[in-house]
Amino acid sequence: MSVSYSRKLIHIDMDCFYAAVEMRDNPALRDIPIAIGGSSDRRGVIATCNYPARAFGVRSAMATAHALRLCPDLTLVKGRMDVYKEVSDQIREIFSRYTPIIEPLSWDEAFLDVTSCPLFGGSATLIAQDIRRVIEAETGLTASAGVAPIKFVAKVASDENKPNGICVVAPDDVDKFVAELPLKKIPGVGKVTLEKLHTLGLFTCADIREFPFARLHKTLGKFGALLWNRCHGIDDRSLQVERQRKSVGVERTLSEDIYSRDEVVEVIDYLLPKLVARIANAHADKRIKSQGIKLKFNDFQQTTIEHTRSEFHAGYFNDLLSEILLRRKERGIRLVGLHVGLKDETDIEQLTLPLDGA
Amino acid sequence: MKFTISREKFLQPLQLVSGAIERRHTLPILSNILLKVKEGALWLTGTDLEVELISRIELESDFVEGEITVPAKKLFDICKGLSTDNDITFEVNGSKATIRSGRGRYTLSTLSANDYPNLEDWQGDVEFVISQSELKHLIDSTSFAMAQQDVRYYLNGMSLETEDNLIRTVATDGHRLALCNYDYTTSSLPARQVIIPRKGVLEISRLIENSDQTVMVKIGSNHISIKSADFVFTSKLVDGRFPDHRRVLPKETTKAVVADKAVVKDAFSRASILSNEKFRGVRLNISNGELKITANNPEQEEAEEIVDVDYQGDDLEIGFNVAYLIDVMNALDSDKVKFNLSDANASALIEDAQNSTALYVIMPMRL
Repeated sequence: MSVSYSRKLIHIDMDCFYAAVEMRDNPALRDIPIAIGGSSDRRGVIATCNYPARAFGVRSAMATAHALRLCPDLTLVKGRMDVYKEVSDQIREIFSRYTPIIEPLSWDEAFLDVTSCPLFGGSATLIAQDIRRVIEAETGLTASAGVAPIKFVAKVASDENKPNGICVVAPDDVDKFVAELPLKKIPGVGKVTLEKLHTLGLFTCADIREFPFARLHKTLGKFGALLWNRCHGIDDRSLQVERQRKSVGVERTLSEDIYSRDEVVEVIDYLLPKLVARIANAHADKRIKSQGIKLKFNDFQQTTIEHTRSEFHAGYFNDLLSEILLRRKERGIRLVGLHVGLKDETDIEQLTLPLDGA
Repeated sequence: MKFTISREKFLQPLQLVSGAIERRHTLPILSNILLKVKEGALWLTGTDLEVELISRIELESDFVEGEITVPAKKLFDICKGLSTDNDITFEVNGSKATIRSGRGRYTLSTLSANDYPNLEDWQGDVEFVISQSELKHLIDSTSFAMAQQDVRYYLNGMSLETEDNLIRTVATDGHRLALCNYDYTTSSLPARQVIIPRKGVLEISRLIENSDQTVMVKIGSNHISIKSADFVFTSKLVDGRFPDHRRVLPKETTKAVVADKAVVKDAFSRASILSNEKFRGVRLNISNGELKITANNPEQEEAEEIVDVDYQGDDLEIGFNVAYLIDVMNALDSDKVKFNLSDANASALIEDAQNSTALYVIMPMRL
């Protein structure tokens, strides 16, 4: 059976996301077993743990009490969700530089469809490597990537060379890669299903291929049909792009506070081409509904000004700037951001005839 | 009661009349068709209490006068399936009706003709004779713009207006309006305006053909009927006040764009493929000599079409529901189409560039 593939998908998965953030922000935690999760006396559960903890058999979703029995020296860290969310947004913004087609699975994991990405000559492998490089450079965290023409293979592949690794399954290699795959690696195959499959003498995808479809379907129902497809390298699910982007923006935190209009104009001139490129990349030029500037002052107060505009006009930032600078009041500026607001479906409006007179 | 008839003569009127009958009705007799043999002819009647259709077939061979009702769908399905070689004989025995054809025999249940509802007698106060093709043109030019299940019940139908030498049809769903004028030279008509319900309009359009044969249209206070040599169709009218189209027709427009209708129609159809499936928006960009049509959808797919047009003036970008535009292109039978526009928030008036008997108003979409 031969299947032809037309898409280039990347699955990006942050390595031990919460734990990695904690280790980044507190180097003392780096080499000792740590876990983020609720404490045992409140029947907490482990959300994430680092590799030293995993060496003891600690896993995510494990009861904290159980984890502490396995690893009595485990350092339990209370999660800082606001920080993780911030990093997650940062990563998602990085993804958007490569493709607008992103399906986030969670804060630390996403599928990207880079079929139409023109960067790196369209090489999904090079794009994935660059995404990993940029994530590490900008967040100090590592990610693993799986590159494949279908979703489930990309997801399985990102796990293959974890942490900080990449696994590429080229279209021609999907068949072989899938054949050797142990069934427990297929998303959706849990403990119970796996036991059923083992009872039938099925351990790898190759085993499933030899197995009569009807019997598989009878044993596992709908999931049997799905499993049969997966084992034949069939997965035509496209990415579930969340909602449309509501805005596109760029910003720069300055190394030294600035005070004059000319200095801000300089930063704007520096940011403008990046914003234009970002708008083009997101195919957003036809959806512009507003244009705005954001400033953060040296007292960490932040202010944004935004005007309705039906099309993007670089010169309009001058008008916006005049207005927003009135709010500076002696303070130094530590961050300058430019953005455009985008229309989405809720902005579409069919006008009505004046039937009742007006 | 008894009659014999060829399948050919029976089938088409039977199908037409069955069309007025609802398949499932809370009142069993309304699923039935009324068959009446009288004065050498067979009369078929179907009704849903809102519309009524009577069709007449001349009988040639032996018959016995009488009347009865039988399940319409079953009768039609049986006759449709019968061989064309044999005549059909229909006969009532007691409470059953028997259909014979060749070696086939079918016995249907019946309900008394006395219980069959007929629209009460009514008087017509406006009457005119018009060719089927002209009436069809009046209806088909506008009926697509009728509302469907709108809470403003008077929009779920078509306005028919008479005044002096004018017959006018208007339909609107609140987003677009279609209007067609017909110059009636035969006589001067009294001023009347009525609303024909949606179902009635669709039935009339189905019944009449593109021919020079005439029909008699009769309008009463609560009913309208269309009578031809073969049928009498009656519909109740919608009791309500139809919006005044004069309020909706833009009085002054600042931009007139003339284009080849077939070319823009095809361009709209292609662009519509990549418009948002839910909202169907397309963008029109008008500039000197050029109309650009663009569409895009949430999947970031994009369509762009450029059409040469007759236009000199300021640029304009305006959005529309592409389905409304395509409906108008389909309704116009001209070579050239003229778009009269003002700005992105004002209605567009679309018409045949040479002849403005039909006028179409579409409100824009903010995209």
